[in-house]
Amino acid sequence: MARAGQTFSFLLRSSFLWCDVNKLVFIGKRLIQAVFVLLFIVVLNFFLIRAAPGDPAQVMAGEAGAGDEAYVEQLREKFGLDRPLHEQLFRYVGGIITLDMGYSYRQEQPVAKLIFERLPATLLLTGAAFLVSILLGVLLGALAAARVGRWADSLITVVALIFYATPLFWIALMAVLLFSVQLGWLPGFGMETVGAGLHGLAHSLDIVKHLILPSLTLGLFFMAIYARMTRASMLEVVDLDFVKTAKAKGVHPGRIWRVHVLRNAILPVVTLAGIQAGQLVGGAVLTETVFAWPGIGRLMFDALLQRDYNLLLGVFFISSAMVILFNLVTDFFYTLVDPRIELK
Amino acid sequence: MLKKFLAIVVISVLVTMVNLVNAETPKPGGSINVVIQPEPPGLMLGLVQNGPTQMVAGNIYEGLLRYDNDLKPMPSLATKWEITEGGTVYTFNLKKGVTWHDGKPMTAADVVFTATEFLPKGHPRWRVTKTNVTKIEALDDYTVRFTLKQPFGPFLGAFEVGSMPIIPKHIYAGTDFKSNPANNHPIGTGPFKFNEWKKGSYIHLVKNENYHIDGQPYLDEIYWHVIPDAAARAVAIETGKVDILVPGSIEYWDIPRLTKRDDICMTSKGREFFAPHCWMWINNRNAPMSDKRFRQAIMYAINREFVREAVWNGMGGIPTGPISSKTRFYDDDVKKYPYDPEKAKALLKEMGYDGTPVRLLPIPYGETWQRFAEVVRQNLQDVGIKVKLVATDVAGWNQKQNEWDFDLAFTYLYQYGDPALGVARSYITSNIAKGSPWNNVGGYSNPKVDELFANAAVAYPDAKRQELYTEVQKILAEDVPVAWLLELDFPTIHKCDVQNLISTGIGVNNGFVDAWLNR
Amino acid sequence: MMRYDLMIDFWRRFLRNKGAVLGLGILLIVFLLAALAPLLYSYSPWSMVQRPFLPPFDREGFLFGTDTLGRDIGAGLAFGAQISLLVGVVSTLVALAIGVILGAFAGYYGGLLDHALMRFTEFFQTIPSFALAIVLVAIFQPSTVSVIIAIGVVSWPPVARLVRGEFLSLRSREFVQASVVLGQRNTKIIVSQILPNTLSPVIVMASLMVAQAILLESSLSFLGLGDPNTMSWGYMIGAARSVIRQAWWMSFFPGMAILLTVLSLNLVGEGLNDALNPHLARKGR
Repeated sequence: MARAGQTFSFLLRSSFLWCDVNKLVFIGKRLIQAVFVLLFIVVLNFFLIRAAPGDPAQVMAGEAGAGDEAYVEQLREKFGLDRPLHEQLFRYVGGIITLDMGYSYRQEQPVAKLIFERLPATLLLTGAAFLVSILLGVLLGALAAARVGRWADSLITVVALIFYATPLFWIALMAVLLFSVQLGWLPGFGMETVGAGLHGLAHSLDIVKHLILPSLTLGLFFMAIYARMTRASMLEVVDLDFVKTAKAKGVHPGRIWRVHVLRNAILPVVTLAGIQAGQLVGGAVLTETVFAWPGIGRLMFDALLQRDYNLLLGVFFISSAMVILFNLVTDFFYTLVDPRIELK
Repeated sequence: MLKKFLAIVVISVLVTMVNLVNAETPKPGGSINVVIQPEPPGLMLGLVQNGPTQMVAGNIYEGLLRYDNDLKPMPSLATKWEITEGGTVYTFNLKKGVTWHDGKPMTAADVVFTATEFLPKGHPRWRVTKTNVTKIEALDDYTVRFTLKQPFGPFLGAFEVGSMPIIPKHIYAGTDFKSNPANNHPIGTGPFKFNEWKKGSYIHLVKNENYHIDGQPYLDEIYWHVIPDAAARAVAIETGKVDILVPGSIEYWDIPRLTKRDDICMTSKGREFFAPHCWMWINNRNAPMSDKRFRQAIMYAINREFVREAVWNGMGGIPTGPISSKTRFYDDDVKKYPYDPEKAKALLKEMGYDGTPVRLLPIPYGETWQRFAEVVRQNLQDVGIKVKLVATDVAGWNQKQNEWDFDLAFTYLYQYGDPALGVARSYITSNIAKGSPWNNVGGYSNPKVDELFANAAVAYPDAKRQELYTEVQKILAEDVPVAWLLELDFPTIHKCDVQNLISTGIGVNNGFVDAWLNR
Repeated sequence: MMRYDLMIDFWRRFLRNKGAVLGLGILLIVFLLAALAPLLYSYSPWSMVQRPFLPPFDREGFLFGTDTLGRDIGAGLAFGAQISLLVGVVSTLVALAIGVILGAFAGYYGGLLDHALMRFTEFFQTIPSFALAIVLVAIFQPSTVSVIIAIGVVSWPPVARLVRGEFLSLRSREFVQASVVLGQRNTKIIVSQILPNTLSPVIVMASLMVAQAILLESSLSFLGLGDPNTMSWGYMIGAARSVIRQAWWMSFFPGMAILLTVLSLNLVGEGLNDALNPHLARKGR
């Protein structure tokens, strides 16, 4: 526990180092890169999605139960689907630059509004899953490294192996089966109790209760990875010369841990965290489906099935933007932790 | 001792009697929670007519007539109606003292505006019905007359709120209907007024205090909840968070568990007007589907009883032909196709089926339909027909039917109470056109059938129509242009203390005017 | 090119890893199940052969029970193994093909080509891979082929990075310099000199990729985006989802099958890693 506190204060002290020209240039360069990547993604998605058979006008006419050719044409005109492709593209990209992601004719609302209404739910879920996976993962990994060779180590290693191999959606279902259906301890779906009309603290607690199962299952995969990674890198570092020297010199073991071992072990975790961002978005689709969590993962899937182009593109755009932003942050954090790394 | 006993008996009897009487007298007041699935794209019934919209908005708007569970017309905004001149003139007397939700009175001018200007723009079904009409006029403030080209039997069945909702002229006349701001706050004459719509969450309707039936509606308000997950909906009614699960919002496997409870009731009534009829389009244009024996073999090969049991939880009816047993002019005196794989194999052998694989397009609306398609595929494979299921979503399903790019395709359509309205469109030659999944997609063309349907629509009186429809059902059952699979049953699940919810052939769509809570 | 004694050494090291041996054993069972499925079951897994909702261990011959339509879950497990292994292996080959080619060119030629290819790889890694896979499969209509291609397309970046790294380090080695001096053509150098030396890490990565591919395929099938004519484990879980309260076994067994297969592949991969790179053996195993 003391080590955790010391780690934290060390991080806090390092963060004041950001006022540095090099680092600002670095951020600037990466931001420009990010913008280009995003634009490219938008254009790519635009064409990719329109390559699919069937268009939204037909879907909506079908659901109105009344489509005749004239009605479908009417809808097409309404959505601007009858305009030439490049014109549609320019209008869309132009809008994106001003953060106007268009209009979802299917749901009769601006895309931005739909996404930002449900984004917090996904951020809550993925944020919680991320925290859970890192905290539990690093903790368990450190524990296994500290007790290397003994039964705690074996247990943690085996459990990590199993969680790494488990399909996310299946463990989610089993969790619902066990904790919700059989034991009745936790709710099995949704973000809050339907029609309960709770406010304030009771409402927040209700949400937390609903959050437990989904965030745990979403975080399991990476928790396993962090655990094994932490264990491995800690064992490596403990073996290194400079650590052995420090031990021989009689340096306090606590200091060895936080100055040397922990600092080196954090690097791969940070790298992994960057990769996890992309996986979390994909994992969110599955988790939100099983747990009926009202986030953008499920929104994206529904939009795809309904051929709601604008909405689908919007969700892709936002999730890619999130991933890029997250990678930027972890890259930067990386440099803080290890000044040896060059800011390219 | 005896006196005491007698006293107890008398009191118990009295109490029971009082309770029984109470059970009959509607109690005013109460707030009711209903599920709506999926969330409707809009509530302006004149422009949007899909299922969920009809369910909610049917309580905001009204039509000239309502229909009971036998599809007989009952008064709604029209109190009396007369059919004269050999079935070509329909005169409706409107109810006096009906006001719109904004207080203005409803008159014949609104009806004429609705029928001549508004609905033809945004209501495809009314557009088609209107082609039979030569003149619509208001004789005075409370009388409307429709003059038809020739007798059209189904005409009287086209006035329920979903088919012809009455729209306020003073709000929409002279405006661009699609962008009129009133579309976000629908104004009707119905028992409930629109109050609030929190997108993704709920729609809130409140009692119309000035409704034209005294004392009704009994309920104070309705909350329509949007709950996207099927399991969540089932739990919602189990825990009492909602009182009603509308048709189409429940997974069939959950039904037995729910109905086993004392406090939950189920009814299949309220869908007679729609009578959803499920069948498999057979693309009559290509071999081997073009051979009648192949199509008949398909009918013999499918075990429809098993499908009903295993996939639809025992619900639904086995159809004998194009007209549903709930629709008018149904006749089951036709060639029947009981489950008989041996007969199917014999037919295939006789026609020399060479094993060409056929593609099966399922309905992409959920698990139940996927299982349905899998059973049919297996049934057909068991008699030797090679079947490949095509994976598709809603857009692809629509498109493949529009372009006739399929061999076998699942579908279900509403019958709208009369074969001329909901049945003929699937079998007549004039309705063969690319671009819609709701016309004659299979491509069956038989001049005799065309003639029968055309004559039956305008025949007069009903007995003559029955004669013609009986003949056409016989022909179609022999030709098997499509493989009729199931008369779908979409039950309404509700808490038992919700009384009198279903009193018409369209069920919850306009049921809340009479409903009350026994709580 | 592998000498006999090297092979013996390799096997000895591999077999020393208990986890890897276990993994290999499970994998063998899965493979046999897939291969012998038509012999074990005379009917297709889609046939309705018993009453629906039959619980496991209840009836002779139906060890795993039946599903909502009365189809034998045991048959589903066996035939599902075929799909999992097929899709897993083929999609990995596709990803390897793309990744090896891109990584080899980037690592060998360096310079602008390397820079461009790496930016491209980075870009690909930014797009959430599962979301992209969903879009690809949905667009090209779900079928075994489209699933394989979609998985291959989203899985190649790590291969490219690995191969590039290997090529970068190997390119400056003496035997490669010698070939250049001797005037060998670039492609010949790449294929016959450098590539064989990258085999070990690529093979290790490949086994882990097959595991990931199987997870991806089952996730896609679970969402309903699998080939509707093939019974896959993911599909079985997805179909059982709505009745999980009444029938736990319909989702349990296929899930266990996926877990065991993926686990065994991971174990084998690690065993291969240890056996092929003995000098990197970790402490505490």
